[in-house]
Amino acid sequence: MKWDIDNNGNPDMKHILTVLIPFLIVVLCLPAILSATSQPSGGKMTESKPALPKTVGSWTRPGSPQLITAKTIFDYMDGAGELYLGYRFDHLEVYEYKAPTQKEILVEIYYMKTSDDAFGLLSLDWGGKPADLSQQSHEQPQPNSSGSGWPRALYGKGLLRLWSGSIYARIMAYQETPESKDAVLTLGRAVVKGKRNLPPPELISSPPDVLQPDWTLRQDSVRFFRTHLVLNSLYYLGHENMLALDHASEAVTSVYEKKDSSRAPSRIRIIKIKYANFDRARSALDQFHASYLPEHPLQENPGSANELLNTFPIEDGWLAYRLQRETITFAFECPDQETARAVVHQIK
Amino acid sequence: MHHKTKTWTRRDFLRGTLGATLGVSLMGSKFVTAETKQAGKSLVTLVRDKNAMDTGNTINPDVLKAMLDQTLIKCTGTSGAKDAWRSLFKPEDTVGLVPTPHLNPTHSEVVDAVKSSLIEAGIPEENIKNAQGGPDKPKACTALIAMPGLKAHWLTGIGTVLKNYIMYSGTPRKYHDANSAKLGEIWNYPFVKGKTRLVLVDALHPLCDKGPQPDPRYKWGYNGLIAGTDPVAVDAVCLRIIMEKRKALRGEPWPLSPPPICIESADKVYSLGTSDWNNIKVNTYGWEEDLLLG
Repeated sequence: MKWDIDNNGNPDMKHILTVLIPFLIVVLCLPAILSATSQPSGGKMTESKPALPKTVGSWTRPGSPQLITAKTIFDYMDGAGELYLGYRFDHLEVYEYKAPTQKEILVEIYYMKTSDDAFGLLSLDWGGKPADLSQQSHEQPQPNSSGSGWPRALYGKGLLRLWSGSIYARIMAYQETPESKDAVLTLGRAVVKGKRNLPPPELISSPPDVLQPDWTLRQDSVRFFRTHLVLNSLYYLGHENMLALDHASEAVTSVYEKKDSSRAPSRIRIIKIKYANFDRARSALDQFHASYLPEHPLQENPGSANELLNTFPIEDGWLAYRLQRETITFAFECPDQETARAVVHQIK
Repeated sequence: MHHKTKTWTRRDFLRGTLGATLGVSLMGSKFVTAETKQAGKSLVTLVRDKNAMDTGNTINPDVLKAMLDQTLIKCTGTSGAKDAWRSLFKPEDTVGLVPTPHLNPTHSEVVDAVKSSLIEAGIPEENIKNAQGGPDKPKACTALIAMPGLKAHWLTGIGTVLKNYIMYSGTPRKYHDANSAKLGEIWNYPFVKGKTRLVLVDALHPLCDKGPQPDPRYKWGYNGLIAGTDPVAVDAVCLRIIMEKRKALRGEPWPLSPPPICIESADKVYSLGTSDWNNIKVNTYGWEEDLLLG
């Protein structure tokens, strides 16, 4: 770089500063720019903190939230804390908005380690009306506000639940009124503002809409989870962790239905679990078989190194499982062996 | 994986062998008793008044007091609330009130109504304590009134009567293991056993799913008080109400998951009372709409 030289042969400082100052500004601001646009890596994020308004409608919040960690979550919510620890929980911020003549609005922002975990929490209950929290609109009944087929926010009777990046949030008015509903939705918009919509977990797309010949997916039954306590709240298998589930697992459960005009519909329960590797999956399957099917010998399938499929009649129908590389797919309550076998083949 | 003790699975429920499996699995646990239970049916009293709460869920204290008086009279077979209390407690008793402290808590109005009523019956105010909390709480009392709020619970199925004393264990998180089958054990702790003179459930605004975190979609105005001296029977009645409400919401059976093993375990393993509907007599008074007793 050539510097201008003044009449005394010295570098022209004014010119130098004119060049250097913008350069220094960029260099000094670069870390802040990078952290504000943090890129997810394997679904992990450093979530930026939502800016909640101090006042919304008649309600006002305190200056700072109550901070809840994995160690203090039981003090805050007793056994309910196990639910969040059953996903990859990082911490929780709690704001209580108060109003002079109305009941409080409770805002709970759960910071999870990944977007998949935040999605999982929302997936535990698809009930409520989808709420569009885009910045310029109010609640509209749009079933597909995210483009992924899954709602990102659900509202019902004063409670808004949402998934945004790696945040899961509950915003609840203790008494639903038109004003509290507006306030709840406004706070929801503040939580999601500026956040990118990430896709749902990859595994959630594995249950097809139809299992041949005539089993239809109940979309509202699809759940994403990782641990056995959560599984037991969805479909009870037993009090022990028979499937060796932990935070490294990814799992989806769903229900398929076959309608029969003459009686209640028949249902099949599907559980698909992805482990870290084949050895973990195989070990889990052996453990499950020993706990749940002790009277049935495990039949190896000759010629299939990393695959195994078995079917068994038990008390509530036929059970099938298919081990394929690091994944196990289970089908419970199948009406017959042929259906059980066919169903586990169709879950990719 | 080798199992040193028998475990239970979904299949035990399906076979109807859960009771036997629980017995084998939990034998050797502390405070398992094989006491002979009372002969005859366990009486559970249910009193409801549609005016107990308004549409904003604000409680009417006068209606609540009348409900409480009727509950006491019918539960004890006496002629008045004072006589009812005096049949359960002496003035020299230190009476511990054990409400649900938060997350769908027992209404403060219910706690206040009980306390006022006890004082009117001659129990000195200084002898009435809040006994919800760690082990030191029941140790300081000679008698207890379990006063939980009626709610489902995502870990135990139901989180009402039997779960009410979980803090007395000093290690509540441990009691969520094994699907909370051991909750009855806490009622047999030496400093708890035999002290519960009355179970009074706040069923004014119950929660039938997703407990203990409140979810307004699953709360409703049942406007009831449920009382008895058999904690297992009372919990069984509470469970019936929750199950019937869930069925009504979905239009089909909507089982709790995990199933509330703690109730059958409290009966079959810890001998705290009866979970058998055939051995429970429910007397209902007042508002009959949507009783939800099946």
